[in-house]
Amino acid sequence: MLLEVKNVRKSFGGFKAVNGASLDVEKGEIVAVIGPNGAGKTTLFNVITGVLKPNGGRVIFKGDDITGLPSHKTCKKGIARSFQIVNIFSRLTVFENVQIAVLTEQGRDLNLFTPSRKLAVEETNAILGSVGLIEKANSVCSSLSHGERKVLEIAIVLGGRPELLILDEPTAGMSPEETARCISLIQQLSAKYGLTILFCEHDMELVFSIAQRIMVMVRGSTILQADCATVRCNKAVQDAYLGEG
Amino acid sequence: MGERVNKSIIIALVLAAILALLPFGLPRFYVYLIALIVTFGLVSTSLNFVLGFGGIYQFHHAVFYGVGAYGAAVTIMKLGWSPWIGFVVGPLTAAFLSLVMGIICIRLSKLYFGMLQISLGSLVWVTVYRWYGLTGGDDGIHGVTVPELIESPTGSYYFTMIVAALSLFIMYRILHAPFGSILQGIRDNAIRSQALGVNVRRHQLIALVIAGFFAGVAGVLFVVIDNSVFPDMMFWTLSLEVTIMALLGGWFTFMGPMLGAAIIVLLRTFVSTVTDYWALVLSVVLVLVILFLPEGVLGKVFEIWHQRHPEKSAQGE
Amino acid sequence: MDALSAIWSPGLVCQVLLGLSRTVILFIVASGLSLILGVLRIPNIAHGSLYMIGAFMAYTVSRLFGGGIMGYWMAVLLAPLAVALLSFVAERGIFCRVYDREHIMLFLLTFAFSLMFGDLVKMAWGAEYRTVPMPSFFQGSIPILGLPFPIYNFFLLLIGPLVAIALYLLVNKTKMGKISRAAAVDREMVGGVGVNVSRVFCTVFVIGCLLAGLGGVLVAPIVNVSLGMDHTLIMEAFLIVIMGGLGNVWGALLGALIFGITQSLGILIWPQFGIVFPYAAVVVVLSFRPTGLLRSTW
Repeated sequence: MLLEVKNVRKSFGGFKAVNGASLDVEKGEIVAVIGPNGAGKTTLFNVITGVLKPNGGRVIFKGDDITGLPSHKTCKKGIARSFQIVNIFSRLTVFENVQIAVLTEQGRDLNLFTPSRKLAVEETNAILGSVGLIEKANSVCSSLSHGERKVLEIAIVLGGRPELLILDEPTAGMSPEETARCISLIQQLSAKYGLTILFCEHDMELVFSIAQRIMVMVRGSTILQADCATVRCNKAVQDAYLGEG
Repeated sequence: MGERVNKSIIIALVLAAILALLPFGLPRFYVYLIALIVTFGLVSTSLNFVLGFGGIYQFHHAVFYGVGAYGAAVTIMKLGWSPWIGFVVGPLTAAFLSLVMGIICIRLSKLYFGMLQISLGSLVWVTVYRWYGLTGGDDGIHGVTVPELIESPTGSYYFTMIVAALSLFIMYRILHAPFGSILQGIRDNAIRSQALGVNVRRHQLIALVIAGFFAGVAGVLFVVIDNSVFPDMMFWTLSLEVTIMALLGGWFTFMGPMLGAAIIVLLRTFVSTVTDYWALVLSVVLVLVILFLPEGVLGKVFEIWHQRHPEKSAQGE
Repeated sequence: MDALSAIWSPGLVCQVLLGLSRTVILFIVASGLSLILGVLRIPNIAHGSLYMIGAFMAYTVSRLFGGGIMGYWMAVLLAPLAVALLSFVAERGIFCRVYDREHIMLFLLTFAFSLMFGDLVKMAWGAEYRTVPMPSFFQGSIPILGLPFPIYNFFLLLIGPLVAIALYLLVNKTKMGKISRAAAVDREMVGGVGVNVSRVFCTVFVIGCLLAGLGGVLVAPIVNVSLGMDHTLIMEAFLIVIMGGLGNVWGALLGALIFGITQSLGILIWPQFGIVFPYAAVVVVLSFRPTGLLRSTW
């Protein structure tokens, strides 16, 4: 079991954003988290990666209890995460964006003297190649389309050579072609690189096409985690989605 | 890319040659003036190290400049030690203060960091201002002895040029090393950086110490040029002036602050000969720049250059 | 019991009251600064220069009216209005065009204005310092706890709470005040419900600057009116605003009180470093409550 999330709770003031969420992810799996808007998916991801400290529950990664560890430490443990709203280094080029991740992973972040342009070039280019952004390596981020920026998000995250990749709505705002490319990218990352992937999405077709297991969240709690067929037929899940577009 | 680097090297060498030969042609006053410009340029560049490249709201940077200068002056005049030791004590004191202030302030987000720094800086200023015994209080310390080698205007000029060039070179290298790339990453997106494994606070703290150190170096240079220190060197108005130099010249470029320092010092010197109201002229210049050149003078130059060469990398030099 | 009465001696109380009377001026200036900071989100560096202009205008107006008590009250009336007019012109002319820029730019713009105003003062009044005569009505002292206390300072101690109450009424009880408070929190929403946000900003800015001018007038009889009086004042006013909570006028009052008391006590305990105490107090407060003592509107 690569990741276990046990009964996590997180409140903001009186508002219970996450109220008893659990899931587990096996190594090499692709697991999706679904739920209506406001179900607490992003908050849960924030807790798992250490951006937020939970009010209760535990997060166990590779057997270690990482509950409450800050995000730069969970990253070093092997968890990487992309954000729902594009979160890139806007004033830097595509190459530099990914290079930062690689340099940090190599432990070179405090290197004061070697010129960056000589370091980690091959590794960075390899990542850019695998996501299809190699031609845009020297472009500034502001010149990228929205879909390309979301792919860059994923590329940055790969720079950290994670074992577990957490993607927060990776295809939000993408056109159909971009979505298709993203789907095949995710499948490739899992099949070719052996990455374990946990993601959340609103696009149900996408979810059912690539996820092996699905966890359903409603109003902050997990109501079910099972394979696609079981989830599709489950009455509680159907009830939760009644009224959802 | 190689061609661009060669051109830069040629320009730099020509510039260096001109600067080296200047004292032989110009009157003493201008030699003094250029040394002063370079000193302020160094302060401003050290500020921009954390402000433009690090996104840290360093609102009271002049404190480190002043502390560096006072550190040297007090060591030389009150403790009676050799000036060369004083020149080292100054920047180290500034770096240490930067570390202390940084630790106190770093846990706060941008604006509140700036606010606490202003209050800490003001506390340092008022303490120096009142401590007649150690710092000479309101009068400051004058007639600081410097080694004979660098005492004359020409000598202090060369010393300033060499030390400043070295300092700028070091800061430039750091900015182009992984440390600098990640510092800029933190500026653009601290959350993302943290999520990638960067210990953001530690990184920023180191940057602050570096910036404080070189501001202290600039303070020592001023002591060498002017042989005096006074409390105004750490007053908020100087911090603001230094910030303006950085913004005027271009705060996302490396040499922008130096250019801004040159503009301001030259403006002040030459406008003052024509009119008493140099502050008015500066204010008009500032208003115009704010309204029409938000990226600063050098920033605008780069913008125009990039519009003509869109395929080249966009990172500031 | 004896030790307690030794501490709370009349001398101490009078010293503290004296210090407080001087910080009333700081409070008035700081409250204007806080208003502008809270609603417009601009740290107005020019505030100090406007205070200085208020003081110089007090000199001119009081001389115009013969220098006596009449001159003084005319100055109190007209000088702040002149400052308000000047700030109105500055706001409509330049400020209102740059509200959507980055804060650091607005900050620098106010600095540019402070430079400009400083030189305008130099142009209009020259570089020498002026004195504004104390009207005979305010000369002399009255006994407080058996010790002589200057009448003018007593007057200042009365003015302080009056201004505070007036501001409270303005901010909390008038329609304009309520709109400004809403605009401070969410200017887009307020604009969305049809309020002319630009006009609100202008009004708040002018009132804030008027307070700076008022501070300058009130301080004129007890200091040398000179160039450079703006520099230290603006720093202390800022520290008070930061300590009290950005945009919170009551915070400015609390901050001014703390500033005044620590300064008076400091002077008594360690005269050479008396002035250091209030600065240290600000650092201590901010270290524990970085957003200031009272709730800020930021």
